[in-house]
Amino acid sequence: MKTYALYLARRLAQFVLVVFIGINIAYLITHLTPIDPVEQAIASATMIGQSSPEMVEGLRKTLRELYGLEGSAFEQYVAFWRRLATGDFGPSLSAFPTPVSTLIWQALPWTVGLLVCSIVIAWGVGNFLGGLAGYYRGNLLLKLVGIAAMSLQPIPYYVVAFILLILFGFVWPILPISGGAEMNIERSGFAFIVSIVKHSILPVLSLVLVGMGAWFIGMRSLVSNIVNEDYVTYAEFGGVSRRRILFSYVMRNALSPQVTGLALSLGAIFNGAIITEVVFGYPGLGTLLVRAVNAGDYSLVLGITSVSIFAVAAAILVIDLIYPLLDPRVAQG
Amino acid sequence: MRILRILAFVLAALSIGQPAFAQGISNLPRQDTIIIENPQGTITNPTWFNIWVVARGGVSTGLQQLGMDTLWYIDADAGLDGVRDNSLAADKPQYNADFTEMTVKLREGIYWSDGVEFTADDVVYTVETQIKNPSMLWGPVFAASVEAVTAPDKHTVLFKLKRPNSRFHATFTVRWNAAWIMPKHVFEKVEDPTKYDFNPPVTLGPYKLHSFDPNGKWYIWEKREDWQRTTLARFGEPGPKYAAYIDPGPPDKRVILQLNHQLDIIHDTSPEGVFTLVKQSPSSHGWFKGFPYAHPDPTLPSVMFNHQVKPFDNPDVRWALALLIDIKAVSMASYRGAATISAIGVPPTGLYGQYYFEPMEDWLKNFEIDTGKSKYKPYDPTAGQQIADMLRPSMGDQIPTDAKEIAKAFGRGWWKPNPEVATELLERAGFTKQDNQWMKPDGTPFKITLLVEGDQRPVMTRAGTMIVQQWRQFGIQAETQAYPSDFFPRVELGDYEAAIAWSVETWGGHPDLSFFLDSWHSEFLKQPGDRQPPRNRQRWKSAELDKIIEQIRKIDFDDPRGTELGIEYIKLAVKEMPTIPLMSYNVFTMMDTTYWTGYPNAETNPYTNPVPNWANTKYMFVKLKPAQSQ
Repeated sequence: MKTYALYLARRLAQFVLVVFIGINIAYLITHLTPIDPVEQAIASATMIGQSSPEMVEGLRKTLRELYGLEGSAFEQYVAFWRRLATGDFGPSLSAFPTPVSTLIWQALPWTVGLLVCSIVIAWGVGNFLGGLAGYYRGNLLLKLVGIAAMSLQPIPYYVVAFILLILFGFVWPILPISGGAEMNIERSGFAFIVSIVKHSILPVLSLVLVGMGAWFIGMRSLVSNIVNEDYVTYAEFGGVSRRRILFSYVMRNALSPQVTGLALSLGAIFNGAIITEVVFGYPGLGTLLVRAVNAGDYSLVLGITSVSIFAVAAAILVIDLIYPLLDPRVAQG
Repeated sequence: MRILRILAFVLAALSIGQPAFAQGISNLPRQDTIIIENPQGTITNPTWFNIWVVARGGVSTGLQQLGMDTLWYIDADAGLDGVRDNSLAADKPQYNADFTEMTVKLREGIYWSDGVEFTADDVVYTVETQIKNPSMLWGPVFAASVEAVTAPDKHTVLFKLKRPNSRFHATFTVRWNAAWIMPKHVFEKVEDPTKYDFNPPVTLGPYKLHSFDPNGKWYIWEKREDWQRTTLARFGEPGPKYAAYIDPGPPDKRVILQLNHQLDIIHDTSPEGVFTLVKQSPSSHGWFKGFPYAHPDPTLPSVMFNHQVKPFDNPDVRWALALLIDIKAVSMASYRGAATISAIGVPPTGLYGQYYFEPMEDWLKNFEIDTGKSKYKPYDPTAGQQIADMLRPSMGDQIPTDAKEIAKAFGRGWWKPNPEVATELLERAGFTKQDNQWMKPDGTPFKITLLVEGDQRPVMTRAGTMIVQQWRQFGIQAETQAYPSDFFPRVELGDYEAAIAWSVETWGGHPDLSFFLDSWHSEFLKQPGDRQPPRNRQRWKSAELDKIIEQIRKIDFDDPRGTELGIEYIKLAVKEMPTIPLMSYNVFTMMDTTYWTGYPNAETNPYTNPVPNWANTKYMFVKLKPAQSQ
């Protein structure tokens, strides 16, 4: 128990350090960008419309004060950490004065829904088919699935997204190609859920088609090794059914590295699926991040990045904490 | 097999429902709804409708087009009833003799969407509130200009100005936007008008907010039941009952959506996208029936030079660089030929053909460059015609044959490329050529970095790339650098040598040039390293130009001498070549007639600019009629 407590303390300290360093790097990068949110705001207001020298100079002065960009870089850095300690990322600069946290919470459910579904489907289908392909190595159909998975896996997922968009949006237009749900729909009830599902089919499919290839290949190779283990051979000699050998002995043992991969993938969902969301006009964190970068809204960029850093580090921490319970040798180093 | 059967069933069920589109509209009849692209895309702060506070929420979500109103509008094209419309104002602005007072008579019988009458108090409140709150968009302008604003009666406003200003009314005159009038009865109840989201907005325009996406992807506006009590009612009833402004996504998706008849107006797409629509969708059309399809906005993309960086302060150098450009190749590279070229410092759009281009044609033909070694007439009046001829073999009857139509669509003349004259000009400026490389007077290689916006504005980036190639062929080490995110802030900081951008924007329908030219006065010029306020981005300083601007300031907006002074400016700009004008900013707005007809077009009904983020497009709504009823 003492060993585990020490292990726990070490891992928690590591977690805090990773989050602190990660957020500092994000802070540095966002503040070193040449994009000035005040200038972006002025440009967006005066680019096409009326502008006069008085207007622009007056706005520049007042916006700098309003956005809290007065003061030295160190003062701004201290103010950032003081706010962050209370879970406050401050106001968004491109959607002033809406708090960054409000914008993240608005976009988060869409991204979580999209990516959890995509990752779990890709993980489940990829591992299931990969396990079958590794066990039934002579099966022609599974060989064909393997070829398809290997062919799809290296294709960038935005290419798959555009192909789907043209196929189901233009050639055979049966699926919505933009947005998260129908316009003007009552945002509750069964019709809303059906609308969300319909709108998510193409983005999910683009992520699943590409994502499941890696799981398939990984699982197939793990299973291919395990089927040669002695205990599998003994089980076969002992007359255990093939289905039981596959699911209870082979795939179960092959699953632990895949579960680690799944946890890391789920932790990374807070990055959003930037290109998929942009291609399909999906209202998630990825779209929000792109808009924030283009607007020079480093409060928002930093907010999204910090949440992402925290989520990935937390996912790793959870795995680290669970592993010693499954295998005590891990805690002993 | 069972899984496959279920999958097939689901797909079949989905396909029965409806054809694919961006986002279907639930609970609204399609035949009553017009769907329009909002080029602002997804709005980060969707619940914010307080348009008077800078850069907080969406503007072209329908808010400024259908919800707002102000005193006057000037159309970029012909206008419904002439280019100028007295909107909330009952008449033109009345100035006193020295332009220190402006009196405005307001229309009677105009009401806000919540039933409160619009009065002079709203105008007074708009000005006073923004003066008190300098972070509001028009606050700095009002603070600099207005000494006092009063309402002598319910429908009269009197502005007393701090200094003579014959163009003060321009602040309340819509070109793309203007100072919108605030509802006093709403804002006076608010503690801090800069923190008030104005949700739902109380409108003066003919529509009111119906619903919007909490994630900012769409806004739906509904025609007011009392639309007769708005200023637009003078021209009839707006056609669509509902107007949805949506974010349809990237250009390719916009084309797919219009092919599926689910996006009635595309704000802008690529030239290639337009060619696809023209081929595959008989119901889609642009501003021009044939080439170049696009609407030429009254904006003038140019090669801009930073005059505070040597050697670009020298007109000989700027002229030499102009004479190395083959505009036909630039037109093909940028707009695939669908460009409307301009050799002079105003855009070839709206009514500027009759105001400036036609009267100047003879002067341009006779304009001569004296290099000291030779004299050369650089103007080629047939450049537009040549582009049309070049495109005709591939585009057939899409290309007009009538000279006037060609001038409108492709522009008139441009400068003939002439490397020999360019050589003489550079030599006079002290440049020398060693091997195949031009050297500056200080003996270092002549290098030019041309800033472009990259993916943010691909058409202009392609123009820049072509120009750089042409300069390189002549022995100049030129290159492009792309700054998609911070292009304009960088240009305004003066952190550039040359850039593809614009500093000329005009009313389009009215010949007055003060809209951009006033800010070119040297009183606004900044030192290198300080940010230059719009629009003299080239930092050109000219005593002669200052004189022209000062004379314009002293005359009335409608004084015919304004056009004469405009011509003086153009002549000066031709001689000095402060920027190399290229073409108008052509916007590929495509309109689908499946559900709505009556859109404006260049040939038969140029009543307004169709580019749907312009506030002037409110005038389009009274001309739109449902296609099914015809």
